[in-house]
Amino acid sequence: MLRVEAETRLGVLALDVALEVSRGECLALAGPSGAGKTSVLRVAAGLLRPERGRVDAGADTWLDTARGIDVPPEQRRCGYVFQEYALFPHLTAWQNVAYPLRGMPRRERRARSLGLLERFGMRELADARPQTLSGGERQRVALARVLARDPGVLLLDEPLSALDPRTRAGAARELAAVLREVEAPALFVTHDFAEAAQLGNRVGVIDAGRVIQEGTPSELAATPQSAFVADFTGAVVLTGMARSGADGLTSVKLDGGGEVTSTDHGEGPVAVSVYPWEIAIEPVTAALAPGSTQNHLSAEVLSVTRVGNRVRLGLAGPQTLAAEITGVAADELGLRAGARVTASWKASATRLVAI
Amino acid sequence: MTDALEDCSSDFEGADVRLSLAGSDELAAQIRQGAKPDVYAAANTTLPEELNKEGLLSEPVEFATSELVIAVPRDSDVRQVADLGRRGMKLAIGSESVPIGSYTRELLSRLPGHQGDRILANVRSNEPDVKGIVGKLTQGAADAGFVYVTDVNAVSARLRAVKLPADLEPDVTYAAGVVKGAKRPHDARDFVRGLTDGRCADALARAGFEAP
Amino acid sequence: MRAFPALLALALAVALTFLTVPIVAIFVDSSPAELIDSLGEPGALDALWLSLRATAMALALILIVGTPAAYLLATRSFRAKPVVVTLVELPLVLPPAVAGIALLAAVGPSGILGGAVAAAGIELSLQTAGVVVALTFVASPFYVRQAMAAFAAVDRTLLDASRTLGASEARGFVRVMVPAALPGLTAGTALALGRALGEFGATLMFAGSFQGITQTVPLAIYAKLGTDFETALALSAVLVAISAAILLSVKLVHGREALGGAPG
Repeated sequence: MLRVEAETRLGVLALDVALEVSRGECLALAGPSGAGKTSVLRVAAGLLRPERGRVDAGADTWLDTARGIDVPPEQRRCGYVFQEYALFPHLTAWQNVAYPLRGMPRRERRARSLGLLERFGMRELADARPQTLSGGERQRVALARVLARDPGVLLLDEPLSALDPRTRAGAARELAAVLREVEAPALFVTHDFAEAAQLGNRVGVIDAGRVIQEGTPSELAATPQSAFVADFTGAVVLTGMARSGADGLTSVKLDGGGEVTSTDHGEGPVAVSVYPWEIAIEPVTAALAPGSTQNHLSAEVLSVTRVGNRVRLGLAGPQTLAAEITGVAADELGLRAGARVTASWKASATRLVAI
Repeated sequence: MTDALEDCSSDFEGADVRLSLAGSDELAAQIRQGAKPDVYAAANTTLPEELNKEGLLSEPVEFATSELVIAVPRDSDVRQVADLGRRGMKLAIGSESVPIGSYTRELLSRLPGHQGDRILANVRSNEPDVKGIVGKLTQGAADAGFVYVTDVNAVSARLRAVKLPADLEPDVTYAAGVVKGAKRPHDARDFVRGLTDGRCADALARAGFEAP
Repeated sequence: MRAFPALLALALAVALTFLTVPIVAIFVDSSPAELIDSLGEPGALDALWLSLRATAMALALILIVGTPAAYLLATRSFRAKPVVVTLVELPLVLPPAVAGIALLAAVGPSGILGGAVAAAGIELSLQTAGVVVALTFVASPFYVRQAMAAFAAVDRTLLDASRTLGASEARGFVRVMVPAALPGLTAGTALALGRALGEFGATLMFAGSFQGITQTVPLAIYAKLGTDFETALALSAVLVAISAAILLSVKLVHGREALGGAPG
């Protein structure tokens, strides 16, 4: 269990957060730049001392400003993966991974280090310098290095943002596997809600130093508590299998049933995403009007959340969806939990990402 | 010598005089390497005679003499040459290749017994010019040094001179000549003549140099 | 526009000639046999040995004290920092003669700290220790300045990473910061070495000139100028060779990056 409480001024930002992450859980802190996300990680790691704060990792208290406790970073058993990985340029890959290993002969350090690199498929590049490695390879070395520390807590700063889109999918898969495997509580930070949704069990939306709402990704998308959260938790993400269609469009068989079309190219397992405000809602009894929308899914309304003059609908279809319509339209349709509707949107508004 | 010559040179009729001042050996080296000032004046007769033999200088003319003295800080208890041989004495003298240095060694070689060796053993610095020796003394780095009497006069507030017995005194004679290949040999000859008989001669006398 | 590249080439040719002819002349003005012969003079060998010893000692002092100092200046901010940095860099722009005066005024026998130095039983004036002090004073800014720049250029997250991986700040300094900054530190050392080897004015004024004790190579060259030009040439040739060797080895070990080229 990791608990982080911090209250401090950082320049113009007033940070005030309180988070808890259980063993085996991964909490994603998602928010725009300057929201204070990285600062939370630095407080947890001991690289930043807040004016008032407390950090507990399991039975250990790492920080308690009230009692004057501030354990230095080197004595906190946490694994921190930096945004640009911070690999030591003068050391080879295996030497980097071996850096935290202490109190054992060189041979053993090398053996352990190679073992970790092997787990990430990086053994052949063990003697390479970081400058010669690609972004994805560097990320793997950084992960191996952090695991060598045998951390009680995992902290990751934008773990995928330094990678190009093509590498990102594979890296995300790998990272998800690591997070599942490592029982330590993990706290990671990202500006991309979709990334947060993909890797985190729970997501906390942070802005201007405060966590505005915390919950599962679908909860946040379906029942945003503010316009900011509504806007930030953009795309709905569905999963399915893609196949190129005859007319140049890609057709995706969604997991759990249903089929949608996209103007993006894709093949094999994909994540399908569409913004809630691109989804039109019609009562299921109405005949489908001809138009350019091509995707239709039948769904049951789970929740209706008013956000200003908009309404967020949590929908249960073959997978969970969130749609956003005007308050006026919602009133006209008389939507309530339990109502059956058809969610429609254009193929050209459908994004595909390989997973 | 520098001040005296600077004073009288501005009065020289016939040309603007530019003085290039440095150790006599350094100037001789420059002339050997091809530099062509119009006049060369040195603190001994050896260097001008060498240059003359090498065909680089006219027959040198002696224009002033000076004497060597021991310079010590005002509060020093040194009264005679023998005191310089005391244990723990730190001396600054000129290096061998500089006139002041060769005069000093000549003087020391005239001392009886091993006195000269004992004094040489107390030397802690071989300075490239007299200024360096005077500097070490005024700074308190050295206890005594050999310089020209005219140099002590210049810093009489901080140093005093211990005169040397006449039989030990080397023959300190300044000589000058016209450099072969000089651009203005006529003016150069006039200047050299003026060192013995003219405004510069007077200036030198005022500074404490004796006529040759 | 073929004229422009030709002009550039011409400028380079002129510059190159101007800089290399005097250096080549050192080796060519006299025959190699005579040069080597002159080096056999006791004064010459003493000067070489003294220069090497004094420079090595000065450099050791500079590295041991200057490296942590440069690290502090590069990585911390404090109100008096601009002043402190200027003070550290000052000897860089001091003419050697002024440096000599400064040292005399400070730790010379009549200097403000002269009494304290003597009371501590340390003799600087007219001693090799004085030479080391002079060399350290004039050469340290060359190193500290480069070291500061080198440390400042190291990605700060590397030190953060080192700490989160279990290494204390001191360990991180030795195992990460110094190795990461090594090209710049090496360049700084080379510059300081060159400056110390060539130091003349301050040494002469502060420590004097005495064979084997204080007469470094530059002082020996000056002393032999009038009477023994051959030996002066020979010593100059050795200094040129040493300096060239230093420059070359820095370039080879750390690539163009170390001495101001574009990162290789």
